[in-house]
Amino acid sequence: MTSHSDVEIPGDAELAQMSNDELARLGSRLDGVELVEYGERYVPGSPADKRAERKVAFWFLLAGLLGVLAAVAFIWWPAGYEDAYSDRQWLYALYTPVLGVTLGGCILALGIGVVAMAKKLMPHEVAVQARHEGGSAEVDRRTLVAEVMDAGDKAGLIKRRGVLKGSLVLAGGGLTLGAAIPILGGFIKNPWAEGPESQLWVTPWAPAPDGTKVRMVQVDGTPVSPADLEAGAMATVFPAVPGGGKASDAAVMLFRLRPGQAVSIRDGQQGFEYGDYYAYSKICTHVGCPVSLYEQQTGRILCPCHQSQFDVFDGARPVFGPATRPLPQLPLELDDEGYFVAASDFVEAVGPGFWENGKFPAWGSTPKGSS
Amino acid sequence: MSSTQQPPRGRWRFRRTKTVRRITGALALLFALSTVGLVYTALAPTPQTAVAAAPDAEAVAAGEQLYVNSCITCHGANLQGVQDRGPSLVGVGQAAVYFQVATGRMPLAEQSAQAPRKEPFFNEQEIDQLGAYIQANGGGPVVPEGNLQDREQLAKGGELYRLNCASCHNFTGQGGALSQGKYAPALDQATDEEIYAAMLSGPENMPKFGDGQLTPDEKRAIIAFIQNVNKDSIAPGGNSLGGFGPAPEGLIAFLVGMGAIVGFTLWMGSRT
Repeated sequence: MTSHSDVEIPGDAELAQMSNDELARLGSRLDGVELVEYGERYVPGSPADKRAERKVAFWFLLAGLLGVLAAVAFIWWPAGYEDAYSDRQWLYALYTPVLGVTLGGCILALGIGVVAMAKKLMPHEVAVQARHEGGSAEVDRRTLVAEVMDAGDKAGLIKRRGVLKGSLVLAGGGLTLGAAIPILGGFIKNPWAEGPESQLWVTPWAPAPDGTKVRMVQVDGTPVSPADLEAGAMATVFPAVPGGGKASDAAVMLFRLRPGQAVSIRDGQQGFEYGDYYAYSKICTHVGCPVSLYEQQTGRILCPCHQSQFDVFDGARPVFGPATRPLPQLPLELDDEGYFVAASDFVEAVGPGFWENGKFPAWGSTPKGSS
Repeated sequence: MSSTQQPPRGRWRFRRTKTVRRITGALALLFALSTVGLVYTALAPTPQTAVAAAPDAEAVAAGEQLYVNSCITCHGANLQGVQDRGPSLVGVGQAAVYFQVATGRMPLAEQSAQAPRKEPFFNEQEIDQLGAYIQANGGGPVVPEGNLQDREQLAKGGELYRLNCASCHNFTGQGGALSQGKYAPALDQATDEEIYAAMLSGPENMPKFGDGQLTPDEKRAIIAFIQNVNKDSIAPGGNSLGGFGPAPEGLIAFLVGMGAIVGFTLWMGSRT
C-alpha cells in the first residue's frame, strides 16, 4: 500500500553482491519499514552471548528431560490399584500427579525456553513504519468498490445470467449437503422402521414371542422373590434377558410398601401391583435421569437432576418439579417358581416421551381396594 | 448333626402289627421333625440368632430402666409409640436401636425435619442394654458380631454402592439433600457397625436393605468400599474439595488454573 518510490531498487549485479543483512534491511525498506536499530543482541562469542545461549538451552534440556520422564512414568510407574490399607497406596495415588507434573512441566519449560530465546538470542531491532491516520482516502475506497462492481457487471453476473446464478447456488447447496450427510446422517434413525417392534415402543420387559414372561433379577442376576425385600425396601431390578442390565429403558424400581399404608391406584392400572409390591420405571419422565432417591416414610421418589418428585403412594404421580408424567408402572406377577416376572411390557412410553406430548389422558386414581 | 441319624431300618422288618407300626410311625415322625428343627436352627442365618439367642436378663432389665428414664415419653410404655411424637419400637430390633443411639440421634433433642447426628448420650454398655431390651420385646434385625468389612470385594462393593446408595449419599459418601429439609447424611463419621445397622433397619427415610436384598456378604463389601475408597484413601489431587465432583473441581481448575496462566502472562509481559 505504502509507496516506496523513494527506495532505490538495486540492479541484478548489485543484488548479487549484497549480504543477507543488507537484503533484510532492503526488504524492510521496500515494505515501508525503517529499521532504526537492528543487529545481534550480544557480540557473537562474548561471555554474555554464551550465557544467554546456556540459559535458553537449559530450558530446552529440562523440557526434553521432563518429557522423557513422563514417558518413563507412563510405562514403568507402579500404577496398579492399591487399597487404603496397603503400604504402597501413595505410589498408586501419585501416578496421576507424576504424569501431570512431568508432562505439564515439559510443556511449560519448552514455552519458557521459546520466550527466553526470543528475548535473549533473536536480533535486537527497533523498527519504524509510516502509517496513514484514520481510514483510507476517499479515492482509494471509491475506486476499489468500482473495480469489484465493474468486474461483476462486465461478467453479466449482476443484472443477467439468472440460470448461472441459480445453478451456482445449487452447486453450493449440493456441496454442503454432500459434506453434511455423512456427519448428520448417523444421528438420524427411523423410529418406525421396525413397526410395532420398534425400540421406542418395546422395552426388554416385553414377553418373548412364545409368551415367556421376563423375570426380574438383581444386578448380580439373582431372581427376586417376595420374601427378599423388607417392608419399606426398594430394589433396583433388571429384566433377565441378555443386555437387560445395560438397556437404557429397562431399569425398574421394585418397592415393598409397609403393610397398612394407604395407597391409591392409578386409573387403568388396577392389579399391576402384587400385594405390597409395586414396580415403577427408574427413568425420569422429564429428561431421563435415574430417579432413585427414595424416601420410604413419605413415599417420595426424588430425581437428582431437576428435583422432580413422584408419589409412590399415589401411582408415582409427579408432585413437584418439572416432570409432568407419572413414572410408568410395570405389571407384576409371580412365575411358577415364585419369582417376580413382568406380566407384560410397560403400557406407556418410558422416560421422556416427547413424541407423545398431549396424547396422555388426565390423571385419575382411586384408593387401593375401593373398587 | 452326626447324632441325628435316620431311624434304624432293622426295626421296620421286626414285627409289623398295626399298633407297633403306628407307634414307630409316630416316633419316626417326631424324630424327623426334631431333626428338621435342629438342622434349621443350625443353618438359619446367623444375624437372626447372634444376640437374640442369648437374651441376657440382666441387660434387658437394665435396658428397660434406661428406656423408662429416657425414651418412654415418645415411644410409649409398651414400645407402642406415641401419636405425633415417636414411632412404635416393636420389631425394630437391636439394629435400629444401635444406629439411632450410637450416632446420638436418639434421644431426640427436638422434633424437626430430621434427627441430626450428635454426641451419643449413652455409653456403649448402655446402648447394648437398650438394644437387648428392644430385641427382647418384638425381635427384629440384629447387627452381627465380628468383622463387618470384606476388603477382598472392594469392586463389587463399589458397584453395589453406586446402585443402591450413591443416589442419596453421593458417589463419595458426602450425602445430599432430600425433600422438605430432610437430607441423606454424609458417611464421614459412620462406623462399620452404624452403616450395617442403617442398612438393616432403614432409619427415618432410608429404605430398608434386608438380608434377602443385600446379603451379609454384600453388606460387608459395601462397607469396605465406603470406609476404604471414600475415607481412608489418599486424595490424588491433594485435596478432594469436599468430594462433590466436577462442579467444585471445575471451578477451582478455572479460577486457579486460569488465574495462574493470566498472572504468568502479565508477569512475562511486564519484564519485556
